[in-house]
Amino acid sequence: MERKQTYVFSEIEDYRQWLENKHLRTKNKFVLVLTLLLGAAVVTYMFLTHMDLTTTLTMMAGFLIVILVNVAMLAYGMENYRFYQMNQYITTFGVFILAISMVFVFDSPAMIASLFIAYALTAFYQDIKVMWISNAFLVFAVLALIIRYPGLLEFPNPSQESDFAVPFFFLVFVFVLTISSFILVKQKRFFYNQIALSKENEFRNIDLLIDMQNQVRGRTMDLPKYYANTAAFAKAFSAKLQMENVFQKKIDILQALDSGTPVSVLQAKYPEFTKEELDRFQDLLLGNHEKLLKLAMKISYVKDVHIKKREIFSETQFRSLNHQSDNMEIKILAFAVFYASLRRGDSFMRPLTEDEIYNVLVYTDYYYTIDPGIIRIYQENNKVFDDIVNDILGKKGKA
Amino acid sequence: MFNTEFLPMSEVRKIKITLVMFFLLVITAVTIPFSIFFDYPPIVKILASIGLALAFVLILLLIRWNKIMFAVQVSIVYTIALTIFYIGGTGSFYAYLFFYIALTIIIFFQELYSYLTFGTLVVGLGTYYLFRHQADLVLIERIPGEFYVYVVILVVFYLIFLVQILYNEKLYIDLNYDWVKMNHLIEKYQDNSLSYLVELDRRNGKQPAYEDIRFQRAVGEIAVFLCEQFKENGKEILNVRDLYLYIHERGLKRILDNDEFSVATKKIANRLDKYLLNNRTDMVTMIFNFQTKFRETVPYRDNRYEYALDRIALGREEQIIALAMIYQYLASEVTRRDEWDPIGHPLTHQDIVKLMTALETDEFLTPELIAVFRDNADLFQQYLGKKS
Repeated sequence: MERKQTYVFSEIEDYRQWLENKHLRTKNKFVLVLTLLLGAAVVTYMFLTHMDLTTTLTMMAGFLIVILVNVAMLAYGMENYRFYQMNQYITTFGVFILAISMVFVFDSPAMIASLFIAYALTAFYQDIKVMWISNAFLVFAVLALIIRYPGLLEFPNPSQESDFAVPFFFLVFVFVLTISSFILVKQKRFFYNQIALSKENEFRNIDLLIDMQNQVRGRTMDLPKYYANTAAFAKAFSAKLQMENVFQKKIDILQALDSGTPVSVLQAKYPEFTKEELDRFQDLLLGNHEKLLKLAMKISYVKDVHIKKREIFSETQFRSLNHQSDNMEIKILAFAVFYASLRRGDSFMRPLTEDEIYNVLVYTDYYYTIDPGIIRIYQENNKVFDDIVNDILGKKGKA
Repeated sequence: MFNTEFLPMSEVRKIKITLVMFFLLVITAVTIPFSIFFDYPPIVKILASIGLALAFVLILLLIRWNKIMFAVQVSIVYTIALTIFYIGGTGSFYAYLFFYIALTIIIFFQELYSYLTFGTLVVGLGTYYLFRHQADLVLIERIPGEFYVYVVILVVFYLIFLVQILYNEKLYIDLNYDWVKMNHLIEKYQDNSLSYLVELDRRNGKQPAYEDIRFQRAVGEIAVFLCEQFKENGKEILNVRDLYLYIHERGLKRILDNDEFSVATKKIANRLDKYLLNNRTDMVTMIFNFQTKFRETVPYRDNRYEYALDRIALGREEQIIALAMIYQYLASEVTRRDEWDPIGHPLTHQDIVKLMTALETDEFLTPELIAVFRDNADLFQQYLGKKS
């Protein structure tokens, strides 16, 4: 069975979800405000035109329920983001039920377009499930109107072709909306995924850089000296502020952790610290690729990163061997260089095997960084590529 | 279409225009027989049909010539022309639906200025249509102000999507900014990684790939094999490979300055530049990123990408200890490189003060921590600075 294409780093999934949730709150707020405005407009219109009071109050209650649920979900969402997700679905149901009710309450073809307003509102969420719920409501409502309530679509001067044209254009409209929403949801995911991928690439590239640096310099950091200096600094700092040296115990713990002492041993020695606190100290080590080392390294690089306006949305930011401006020969050569480089390896990285390369190129996002024609040929003939490289470079890659 | 989440904007735009072309083809195919019912003289109907067919061919050609943005604009104009053809020809309800279709097609492209220009035009045309055909749509008002309800709903639909496009525009600019910034930062790491790699190659007596005859042969044979799947004489690509290797040897600038090379060759050389192996290019970035997949990494934790010190260290004392460690790292380890010093050197106290108080550091250190550093800079230098 063919495997589904996914992202090269599985670690990005959670971060991507976090990014989505971060923006979902703003989207929920937008929908809430728009629903509030629309609700106010509809109810005002009903009051001003002296519509039946019970109907007006019922409609007002409907809007109020949707709005109150939104407010509650926004509040709960601060504790658990799943409330934001749930709110999308509840609001979609609520808004469509209100729109369908309006069609029947007002009993006018003019109100049919309120279904489109409901779709526009829920499209704000840019969520595939919401899109399908909206589509289901829209199609169901339109079909019901055409088949079950044709009287709603009666006009003073009906034209001959209307019987065909109205359902046809409804259908086209729903179809265009669906495709449009679908692509926009995917486009949004592209940005979230690229940011998450960059984060992971950064994380791994810092690791790579640390190891290369250590290898080139032929030594690691002199950590005992670091801790001794920090202890001296802490003492002087406490003296300057005329306070007790509250740092020393923590410096000792960090040094012990850095030299490989297990947390369980430290827990016995320092019972005033919980296991969670000691675990968290692990992030503050400079040895062994821990967080603090990465932070120190990142700080040293972050200065003088300048971004030009034209770089935003520039295609060149998307690292690819499939640039529109390149002709086929350039794309082929770029792929050949890329493939041979990975198979050859270098002074730091071992040669990769054919299987390792194949699995990433064919089953992950790398697939889309290569011209479709080239990747198809590679997919169908990867053994030929393997043979060429084995003949020339020798069979040295190992998993 | 189902994999558009993997594609950059330019590719997605291409897919969008192709889909819109499909819709327009279906709608146009229906419009031509429909036009029998329209109130136009036959000659107008024929001319309109010919005009639409020609415009359709023009859009196809623009897509083929890769003029995607132009094709997008022409397809929007085409949609509006179709709308005008409908509103001039009939007063039926389905023509009113056409305004929503036209707006949705414009929304699909998510181009703010196109939406503001053409979307507003469509709403204007819709309002004109409703005024003109008021009697066809509303004879006896079923609800008070029924005619205005048609207009208001069309305008509200337009406004909701306008808000949405504005929001998306802002969101995508912010996301893109972060993305580009991150890419630049990764490039800086990789600049250093590449120079370390060159140093390791030198120490190991290993040739760089582009100078390695076996690597050159492997690239040539793979390229020839691929090329032969597209055209008869695959060996022609060896000229491109030789040019590629020659750029490594001589440098792009010398090739571009050399009058003996044809314009076509210079053009190819220019495009090959981003795939060179002797600088930090797109190719080197892709290779490094690919290789990191096969290096061990720590298991995922929620704070994997967290670099703000107050999130890593929760207590004030831990933060000060961490700041002291960072200072020592910057003062003792190799963090600054330039072309005269590829291996690099540590930062001086003045460099560190400048760095810690720079705007870019705000995302890592809280203002309180920066203040602690500034107020005690002498202590930092005395106890944690590099001893000469």
